[in-house]
Amino acid sequence: MTKGIIQLCYRKIIDASSEKAWDKYVFEDTWMEFFMQAQTYTQNGKYNTFQEISDNVPAAKGMTYVVSTAAINYIRQLKDIVPDVANVYGKLCLPFKHFKFEIIHSDVRDKASHKVAIYFYTEPITWIDTLDGKLLLAYGDQREALKCGQEVETEMISLQPYLNISSVILSSPAVRQKEDNLISSSENSPL
Amino acid sequence: MERKEFLRRGFLSALGTSFILPIVGACSGDTVNPVSTTETTTGTTTGTTTGSCTTTATETAGPFPTKTPSSLVMTDITSDRSGTKLTVKITIQNKNNSCAALANAIVDIWHCDAAGNYSEYGGTGMQSTNYTSVHFLRGRQTTDANGLVTFTSIYPGWYSGRAPHIHAHIYSSSGTSLLVTQIAFDQTINNTVYAQGVYKSHGLQDTTNANDNVFSDGVGTELASFTGSITDGYVLTHTIVVNG
Repeated sequence: MTKGIIQLCYRKIIDASSEKAWDKYVFEDTWMEFFMQAQTYTQNGKYNTFQEISDNVPAAKGMTYVVSTAAINYIRQLKDIVPDVANVYGKLCLPFKHFKFEIIHSDVRDKASHKVAIYFYTEPITWIDTLDGKLLLAYGDQREALKCGQEVETEMISLQPYLNISSVILSSPAVRQKEDNLISSSENSPL
Repeated sequence: MERKEFLRRGFLSALGTSFILPIVGACSGDTVNPVSTTETTTGTTTGTTTGSCTTTATETAGPFPTKTPSSLVMTDITSDRSGTKLTVKITIQNKNNSCAALANAIVDIWHCDAAGNYSEYGGTGMQSTNYTSVHFLRGRQTTDANGLVTFTSIYPGWYSGRAPHIHAHIYSSSGTSLLVTQIAFDQTINNTVYAQGVYKSHGLQDTTNANDNVFSDGVGTELASFTGSITDGYVLTHTIVVNG
């Protein structure tokens, strides 16, 4: 009756071409933090990029986290709703509590090349079906409620770039078979 | 709670409409038992009708982003750590400007807790939006017109091989690194603090300033001044001179 329980993950990329106000704040402040922190590890210009520093300076292993401190208060401003990903009504909808910050590229000499990503991980979602390229979803684990014939509120979201199903717990074939039998037997039974 | 938040923001208001549709379009013979036909729209979406036109419904302006500082920017950096209260007052002076106070300098400090442990910075993994105590005893302030920053913290503990200290990194207002240094502590006060409270079980420090591999070349510019007591807490006062 359901495909299973999934977690969606949206990877939001922010760089110098980002235009939204929130994106620009994150770009500016994470760049500043990278610039500040990187100076500890550049060794008088020997290393300039995040990649060079990460590859050559073991002490810089915490830099991604430290740079993320410039973004976390902006992430909290989102009130635990994933940005950019809208439902079929065009409204933001996906709740999240966890995120991962990534420095894609940064260079102390070139602010314009600074590029970061934030992965927003949703809480568990019940994936009921896929209709016309859209996921039919219910928030939380609703497998039991659906099985019991209870009404469950649902949501439809288009598959779109940078939106991934990042983990899945599939309903077992045995369970699905049993559910299918139940459905067909109830369809055949006289009212 | 998040789900309720989501429901308010997203689709429950629309669900009210979708519930009504089956009733209107219900085929005869079908039994339709709507669970609810109550309009579930929340907020102030009811328009006001006067004359022949209707005032457009008011909706929330939505969350607008605002400029916000790094989570490192804190006055009280104690977080969940316990210990003897310590107020840290650091004044930044600029050697390149006749030792005048340097305003708008960014000052990062960090130190260990009573047991001698630093907060570990996380790796590159997942973080939670509501996890707040991840960087205890680390903080950032910007100097005022007098070159002063003030932090509230606890008296640092010590770890083997090092004399008690606070790390400080000073940046210009544009983020250029000006100085990385450490602040040294008074041996007499260390002995008093470490003999009591949460420090007692860890005992007295095993390294003095004179034996410390960082401070042994002299602490003339690194030793802070102290006032206060165990009961009232201590106030650390220190001046750091940079080439701003």
